[in-house]
Amino acid sequence: MTEGGVTGTRSLESFLEGNTRPVSRPQAAVDDGVGPAAGRTGEVIESSTTTLVAEARHLHEAPDFGAFVRVESDGRDIVGVVHNTRTQSIEPNRRPTAYGKTEAELRREQPQIFELLRTQFEVFVLGYFDGTSMVHLFPPQPARIHSFVFPCTPAHVLAVTEDPQFLRSILETTGLPTDELLLAMLRHALDQRARGERGSRAYLAQMGSELSRLLRDDYDRLSSLVRRMTTWEQA
Amino acid sequence: MLDLSAVRLQIDSMVAQQADGGTAAFEAHVHAAMAELQRWSGDWEALQQRLDHSRTSWLLPRFASGPLAKGVMASPRPEQLSVAATDGSQVFPDRHEISPCYLLNIGYVLLHYGTDERPLLSSRPRLYWRDEDLFPQWGGRRTSINRELIGFRRSLMELTELTELAAASHAAGHRTVALTDGTLVFWGLEGRPPDFRQASLAALESAFDLLARRRIPIAGYTSRPGSYELVNALRVGLCPVEGRADCDRCPWLGQVPPCSSVEGVSDAVLYRRVLGRGERSPVFESTSRVLADYGPHQIFFFYVHAGDEVGRVEVPRYVAEDDELLDLVHATIVDQAAKGGGYPVSLSEAHERAVVRGSEREGFYRHLEEVFVRNDIGVAASRKSLRKRSVSV
Repeated sequence: MTEGGVTGTRSLESFLEGNTRPVSRPQAAVDDGVGPAAGRTGEVIESSTTTLVAEARHLHEAPDFGAFVRVESDGRDIVGVVHNTRTQSIEPNRRPTAYGKTEAELRREQPQIFELLRTQFEVFVLGYFDGTSMVHLFPPQPARIHSFVFPCTPAHVLAVTEDPQFLRSILETTGLPTDELLLAMLRHALDQRARGERGSRAYLAQMGSELSRLLRDDYDRLSSLVRRMTTWEQA
Repeated sequence: MLDLSAVRLQIDSMVAQQADGGTAAFEAHVHAAMAELQRWSGDWEALQQRLDHSRTSWLLPRFASGPLAKGVMASPRPEQLSVAATDGSQVFPDRHEISPCYLLNIGYVLLHYGTDERPLLSSRPRLYWRDEDLFPQWGGRRTSINRELIGFRRSLMELTELTELAAASHAAGHRTVALTDGTLVFWGLEGRPPDFRQASLAALESAFDLLARRRIPIAGYTSRPGSYELVNALRVGLCPVEGRADCDRCPWLGQVPPCSSVEGVSDAVLYRRVLGRGERSPVFESTSRVLADYGPHQIFFFYVHAGDEVGRVEVPRYVAEDDELLDLVHATIVDQAAKGGGYPVSLSEAHERAVVRGSEREGFYRHLEEVFVRNDIGVAASRKSLRKRSVSV
């Protein structure tokens, strides 16, 4: 019943065989994302019709707050916006503690801690693409668990933000950092337009007037939003 | 269920009694042991001669270096170094459950320091269910596997797998130190049938051979060691009988012998007072009986002040007799303990990978049961076990 002699010929990768959930893998084995996974930014680990939680592919590398993302699921592209990101221990019974070292020092002297941390981001679902056109409705089925999350291309962002409907979706949903999220989304939308043929100023004016319609009963809030948007125009 | 408040009262009274009984007498013993250690410190070769001629019922060390009461400071760890560690855990066959299989889970850790290379952290479960796993034949007899044998198999696998991991790291160009939790002395071999001993020792020897050939140091680290080898040697030194101490002919039989003045003091307690942070004791050779079969790979040990405690480090001969490897092990342990809050960080990570938690064990049994049911194999979980899972009110 003993294991017999040792071989001394195994590769480092062999220590991951038969291991469906390795916490980490040696450098050589790190998947560089070719094929359908190429360019992914995360993977769905919790899914419902309205919200998703995704694990970022790399630690600390979630999409920006307010960024638009796309999930390929059931042959459909579901589109959403990142509204919260958190980095924490993957093990519920182990919490990070302060070391008093810089990240570079920690990476050289306490390399294991970075394997035990995960960055997750939450996505609020805005709609889905039917072919190339954006549908501002929740998808018929939520994204499947383990679907990949990709950043939206500029064309996608233009399509999603063309119709001011997304402003209403955010304003009407509770549990989101609504105003901050709206402003961040508008900035992302604007970034794409500044480079495109349509003037960013005209777009801002259109969104501004939609907001004033939606927030006509809440003057203080509206004026705060508009005031902050105005500073971008000047910049 | 456990009545915790009832237990608390008993714990309180236990601690209270131990606290007033122990301290003063214990302190006197430590004091006596310290005096003896100082007395023999430079004269350790003379004490060794006395040990060689004495007969005791206790385990004695062989001094490999001295002086005894002087610490050796650790050198700084090499800038770039990889530390390999393994640990294991098991799910024992449970006679209440449906299948007599058992599981060993080995955790692997390879941490690279001084580079930005990602570490390897993984675990691999292995299920044992074949007839030869459950009813091994040793000494011509078919025996039923038991907890002791499974524990032994696990310790051996921790060591052989650690060897493979360290060898793989070495082959990938990393300067590597291999660490395992606990002792390198396989006590479990004592009193086993010759074929069992032979097979186990062959595995051990091939592991040490391979590491020695590639000059990869391996060390076993014991936290809070309860060993007494050095203090036992001091007891021999205390024996007033001329020439040789012989416990079988002790003139104080039935009375309090002079050597009892240091009784109860462990080596670690003694070295806690001798060693500064990061320092190690001189090196001793273990004389455990089971090592007679270890061939060229006799086990040596030293104590090290790892920051919060004095731990015991065991190494095979090829490490003990190679100053560079010995220094490297010493430096690695001290650095690892500093990183791990007093206990080598690679070993605690390996433990985290290996451990099978209660809920996971339950999940293992549940899955086993489901698969058996699905395949229409009679499930014979005992009534008692089923009863434990759902108790009606």
